Amino acid sequence: MIETPNQSWNLREWLAFASVWGAAVLVTVTFCWLLGDIIWHGLSHISWTFLTAPPENAGRRGGIGPILVSTGLILGVCLAVSLPLGVGTAVLLAEFTSDTNLFGRLTRRSLDVLAGVPSIVFGLFGNAFFCKTLGLGFSILSGGLTLACMVLPILIRSTEEGFRAVPDNYRLSAAALGLSRTATLVHLLLPAAVPGLLVGLVLGVGRAIAETAALIFTSGYVDRMPESLLDSGRALSIHIFDLSMNVSGGDANAYASALVLVIMLLIINGTASWLATHSLHRKIVTV
Amino acid sequence: MRPWPSLYLIVLKQLLFLALYWVAALQPLPGSAADQLTGKLVISGSSTIAPIVSEIGKRFESLHPGVRIDVQTGGSSRGVADARQGLADIGMVSRAIKDEEKDLHAFPVARDGVGIILHKENPVQTITDEQVIAIYTGTVTNWKQVGGKDAAITVVNKAEGRSTLEVFLQHFKLNNRDIKAQVVIGDNEQGVKTVAGNRSAIGYVSIGTAEYDESQGVPIKLLSVGGVAASTKTVQNGTFPLSRPLYIVTRTPPIGLAKAFIDFAQSKAVHDIIKQQYFVPLGD
Repeated sequence: MIETPNQSWNLREWLAFASVWGAAVLVTVTFCWLLGDIIWHGLSHISWTFLTAPPENAGRRGGIGPILVSTGLILGVCLAVSLPLGVGTAVLLAEFTSDTNLFGRLTRRSLDVLAGVPSIVFGLFGNAFFCKTLGLGFSILSGGLTLACMVLPILIRSTEEGFRAVPDNYRLSAAALGLSRTATLVHLLLPAAVPGLLVGLVLGVGRAIAETAALIFTSGYVDRMPESLLDSGRALSIHIFDLSMNVSGGDANAYASALVLVIMLLIINGTASWLATHSLHRKIVTV
Repeated sequence: MRPWPSLYLIVLKQLLFLALYWVAALQPLPGSAADQLTGKLVISGSSTIAPIVSEIGKRFESLHPGVRIDVQTGGSSRGVADARQGLADIGMVSRAIKDEEKDLHAFPVARDGVGIILHKENPVQTITDEQVIAIYTGTVTNWKQVGGKDAAITVVNKAEGRSTLEVFLQHFKLNNRDIKAQVVIGDNEQGVKTVAGNRSAIGYVSIGTAEYDESQGVPIKLLSVGGVAASTKTVQNGTFPLSRPLYIVTRTPPIGLAKAFIDFAQSKAVHDIIKQQYFVPLGD
């Protein structure tokens, strides 16, 4: 009598166990396969010359030196603009407006909508606004600003969550000690919200560095070493797209460039998570 | 982070550059002093031509150190629009110039053939124009109807705005609305990869691209059209029916730097670049 329900329980348990493990293994295998494929095809082409030399014969030969520089500059412009704007807006939303405030709700709603907008829309907007209306032309500046628009919603929302995760006790204690709101913000809330900010930063940078659609119409296709932020510069992801989809015989260098991109992403993620634990320690010390 | 001082510097630099550019543009350039050329040319348009013009631009830059050639992509229609609006000095158009575009000045730089490709293991060796039309309009949906194996045909079509699509539609007198495609793709390499990965697919791509990929062992084959083999040779001698000219266009008759560049791009000095990019040089 006891055997039957026990067996069916066992079966159900086993099924749940298998499906959870199956899902996890599937995800890991897919990732490893993808990474393995890129490493297998790309690793042999990577050398110091590849990382520093300019591309030749439409990218089939030569390296990706100028493209790495352009990618770095585009990302730099993007972060220089989006970080202060993002943190500022997040502070306003989390600390100075209540949940029911109409302005706050409208801002949050529009940010959520913007976060889901396809990147090509940002690309066309950037092309129309930064390149044409502001007259920046195809330039690293246009590309970086377009990416900043794209990254801002993610950055603001996760930083806001970071602020909201700080217990109200902190604010009350600070007020009880007679600290001004600015001092509370700078010395207490901001360090405590850093992990949220870093999550947003990693997601945003990940989205930005892998972007092609928003950049092909803004920072452009020129693979020369940029001389200023107003020069057009080809981003790494556009280079990979062009080599694999438009240039016959560009596959080998496309794989190598993809491997470089993956390594860059891993380094950025690693640095961010290191910073997150580091800042967490500091937070505990501060409090 | 101190972005502002450097930004001012860049804006200043750019203003100075603009001023210089204006001065340079106001003075008619003497034709003989070719190495006096300075300035920047912005060229935009067809993604097919972009790698060729990029490479031609690099060679031109090395001959004239004061010159910068910036190449942008986005398709032939964008090349026409940018050249018209003055966003680009030169547009790139990889198809015949339409009637409503006759206001532009067009200069051919190379030719390209559009070939029909199948997977290498597909037993079908030849295909008539009528069969191609029937397959693309969905009246023939299985390979056994055109002498192949019993397998459903995967029709690969190009995205709207692609010049290869226009060449294809024009030759077979088709309307894009009537095409029943299972896969819609963008660039040529994408077309080759799609067909190489699907034994019952049919697609059409640039012959130069297909020839190169075939020689590299990619499992595709080019079909002859109207009894003419699809190869860069038949495209060059003009016998292959599905071919397109690759143009660069300007809004006004080119002068100065633009003229020098267009003359260079049409000269024999760049034939090796065109062949290197798997396209067919003109004349010869």
